[in-house]
Amino acid sequence: MSLCKFAYHGPETLDEVLALLAEHGPAARVMAGGTDLVVKMSRGQVAPAVVIGLKRVPGLGDLRFDPVHGLELGCMTRVSDVLEHPAVAAHYPALAEAAQATATVQIRNMATIAGNLCNASPCADNAPTLIARGASVELRSPRGSRTLPLAELFRGPGQTVLAPDELLLCITVPPPRAATGFAYLSLSQRSAVDVSAVGVAAGLTLADGRVAEARIVLGAVAPTPFVATAAADALRGQRPADEAFPAAGDAPAEACSPLGDVRASAGYRRKMVAVLVRRALERATARALADGRARTARPAEVTP
Amino acid sequence: MTSRPIGKDVPRVDGWAKATGAALYTDDLSLPGMLHGALLRSPVPHARIAHLDTRRAAALPGVKAVVVGSDLPAVKYGNWRLVPTTQDELALARGRVRFVGDEVAAVAAVDRDTAEEALALIRVEYEPLPAVFDLDAAMAAGAPVLHEATPDNVSVTRKIAFGDLEAGFGASDYVREDTFTVQAVSHAYLEPCATLAQADDLGRITLWTSTQTPYIVQCLLASTLGLRENEVRVVKPAVGGGFGGKMELRPWDVCAAFIARRTGKPVKFALSREEELATGRRRHPMRLRSRVGFKRDGTLMAKDLQVLLEGGAYNSMGPTATFLVGNFGAMLYRYPAYRYAGAHVYTNHAPAGAMRGFGAPQALFATETQMNMAAEALGIDPIELRLKNAMRPGDEIPDVATVGTCGFAECLERVAEMSGWREKRRRGPGTGGGKGLGIGCYSFITGGVFNWFNTPYPFSAAEVRAYADGTVHLLTMASDIGQGSDTVLQQILAEELGIRMQDVQMTAGDTAMTPKGDLGTWGSRVTLMAGNAVLEAARQVKEELARMVSLRFDLNVVQEVELKDGMVRSKFRPDRGIPFAEAVAMAQKANRGKPVVGRGTYTPRDMGLVTPTFSFGAQVAEVDVDRETGVTRVTKVYTAHDCGTVLNPMAVDGQVHGCIQMGMGYALSEELVMRDGKTVNASFLDYKMPGALDMPECEAVCVETHDPRGPFGAKETGEGPISATAPAIADAVWHASGYRATGLPITAEKLLAALDGDDSIAGERRAEASCAIPDPRPRG
Repeated sequence: MSLCKFAYHGPETLDEVLALLAEHGPAARVMAGGTDLVVKMSRGQVAPAVVIGLKRVPGLGDLRFDPVHGLELGCMTRVSDVLEHPAVAAHYPALAEAAQATATVQIRNMATIAGNLCNASPCADNAPTLIARGASVELRSPRGSRTLPLAELFRGPGQTVLAPDELLLCITVPPPRAATGFAYLSLSQRSAVDVSAVGVAAGLTLADGRVAEARIVLGAVAPTPFVATAAADALRGQRPADEAFPAAGDAPAEACSPLGDVRASAGYRRKMVAVLVRRALERATARALADGRARTARPAEVTP
Repeated sequence: MTSRPIGKDVPRVDGWAKATGAALYTDDLSLPGMLHGALLRSPVPHARIAHLDTRRAAALPGVKAVVVGSDLPAVKYGNWRLVPTTQDELALARGRVRFVGDEVAAVAAVDRDTAEEALALIRVEYEPLPAVFDLDAAMAAGAPVLHEATPDNVSVTRKIAFGDLEAGFGASDYVREDTFTVQAVSHAYLEPCATLAQADDLGRITLWTSTQTPYIVQCLLASTLGLRENEVRVVKPAVGGGFGGKMELRPWDVCAAFIARRTGKPVKFALSREEELATGRRRHPMRLRSRVGFKRDGTLMAKDLQVLLEGGAYNSMGPTATFLVGNFGAMLYRYPAYRYAGAHVYTNHAPAGAMRGFGAPQALFATETQMNMAAEALGIDPIELRLKNAMRPGDEIPDVATVGTCGFAECLERVAEMSGWREKRRRGPGTGGGKGLGIGCYSFITGGVFNWFNTPYPFSAAEVRAYADGTVHLLTMASDIGQGSDTVLQQILAEELGIRMQDVQMTAGDTAMTPKGDLGTWGSRVTLMAGNAVLEAARQVKEELARMVSLRFDLNVVQEVELKDGMVRSKFRPDRGIPFAEAVAMAQKANRGKPVVGRGTYTPRDMGLVTPTFSFGAQVAEVDVDRETGVTRVTKVYTAHDCGTVLNPMAVDGQVHGCIQMGMGYALSEELVMRDGKTVNASFLDYKMPGALDMPECEAVCVETHDPRGPFGAKETGEGPISATAPAIADAVWHASGYRATGLPITAEKLLAALDGDDSIAGERRAEASCAIPDPRPRG
């Protein structure tokens, strides 16, 4: 397949990026790793007249962590950066699991987390965990800056709320909390190197041995990442060993709206949501319990 | 490297170039003024072409040629040259398309983008015809006819029969009948097909093409263009896998050569992965109905096998598949009575062709699964049941083949030992906490003796040129497509001449430069057939050099001269000898400058209808089935195989691993999913081929036999093991979960549905499906 004709710009400062976006607007596409954009262009699914490459702008790929502000991923932070970073492994193991589930080594070395989000594929592996983890995104344009909860970025398959002149500048994940665990599980036909037919992020915070708060976010089973609020809320006050957990996946399985395609039927996806939600909660619980405070005091910093 | 490379882990002679990217594949080649081609393919499964207008495409700046079916000579081609009525393909459609992807027009332009832009400007009006997408629809009364000469859509039927079938079943205590279905899968070779043609001023063609069979392409391209055979030169560059999918003349070869002649410019075509998956050759989907009878003690009494092959829109290698599936159905066990009837059926799908194992993966999935089902019903351990009936050396398939060396029984014993079978298999199905193990076995041909191509040349040939500088040059048309035959043939030569691997150079797969003939790479034939040709050529050189040393040292005629460690010397008195280079120089001088050359050929004669010799093996797979998701992970595969004498252990291991990878995909995840004639999953994202990270631990042992027909005793190993893997995994899934699959692939979704009692997804309805072959309708 042949690539459309386009002009390539390689700006060296953020201001130049924003100026180019302002000038070309809807005719332009921003390129981070290019692993989605170039494929779409070569298939003729998008035909931008202008491509703005970000790789020459210094600092956009920074990954920063501190215990107070949490984790900050610049828009050029690659999936493999997240996978390999010791702070992520220590404090955000579910983000590493999602990064690991993303495509192949070669693609992870090029693809960025921000690109994975902006591509807005319903099966994007990195969206559910980041949403569950309460991440927000900063969108920057010459008109200014705005910050949104990540869940509000998505409008539909391939569609985001980004305005034509806006750039997703960075992703911020709140700091790790006491007695809290998250996990990401995905299912595909191959054990590795595959696109997920179902992806589930789940997390919970324990206090006095009971669920103080829970989050369940599903990928690939709805047009956008599906936040199963009711099912997560229903877990509040439950003990991890209670009967509530085996059935915790049933409500989200009911509530999501998977499609049937060549990767899996809608019915199978629904069944797998139920299984994976339960398993993800089990793994998240184990992680929460690894923190001694889970069985004792109610953590002070639990916030919605 | 020692001068005794046989039996050693000799690295690939092409390994470095391939690992570093230095190897040149067809698409890496470029010639001055080269044009780039693209093919217009039918978007509909069956239609009459009512109108075809290429004027706008031809007028596009940069377009140098637009070619449609009526421009080309109306010569049909196909590999079965022996039976011209089976040759049913044209490079470009003439008035009719028969599958989604059927080639309609070709464009050549100054670059690839322009060629593709031109394709979009070609106007085609298709008048849709009714289409058939499965066996039943294609064979129904009044079904749409794909080829007028075949009014019942059954293009080939084959039969094999021996023994008294009725008596066999009559004397059986236990008879069972099962239907098995297997799907279409892709070769998924990593290098998509590509071709580059150049014409000289007389219109003679040089074609660099990604092929397993340079000679076949040469002959068929010549006849298609109205040229004499040797007015076409076919050169095989590095090839990135073929697995049976690159052994025919293909439309892009014809179009490239035709346009090169017409424009005087070189023309290249290179297919995309999507084209390959959506329209390329594939393994035949089949429905197999097998009835088998046993004595109470497990003794096999009779087998009746009926097979329908879904061939797609053209014959391709279907006629061979139709015979081989019946042949492999009779292998492995001693059947006192056997009857096989197979039919190759046209449908409006992309044609199926040859693919690794050719007929055996389908036949043996049925055979082996049915053996496991019978073992369960008879209360006999599956390995014991096999041992009771296993073929032994010297066994015969009457009028078809004789088994030479055969280490099958020993393979069964070894694999049972390695895998801890007798201990682990003791527990009942579904009781291992999701773990299970299962068995499958194989036998395969070491080259085919059949001459469907009707070649008047030897099946394989080799020329060895020895030089006075101590180097030798091996020339053969045998084609290494990644399997490692260049390495093994050089090993054979170096071993026989007592020289080192680095003393050998090689020119291969070039129809103008290498000796005729060679039927190509298929049927696991190269090591045995080309290997024997190399050996014969080497022995001529050896004889010549021995003569020199004998003369020089006045050796007694009873003394053996050996070529070893770079020396030609008396074996009895090793001090009486000279270096290889010196011996060559002597021979040349003695012959007044005539080069020292050996020429060898190999053509199998009086070896039955199938092969010089068969490989055998047994495999045990261990799996872990997740009862909640249906996901099966293969955790370990044990293989015991008889590939004769091992010439290169590392290469043999590589082939076994490759077979396991492909067999695993066949068993669990791979399928070209078709909807209304279109391939739905034409990308590696959705065509689920197992990757390196999916591979289980593999443990393999060779049960060595010494086959007198193979070079240094060798038999095949490149294709056989693939057929054991799917039935072994299917049996392990049964042992792990209690679900017995009679169809492939066993996807997670299918397995879960079956375990949950939902048969509609698992497709158990096919138990009622017929495999009967209708009486032929009168031919038009």
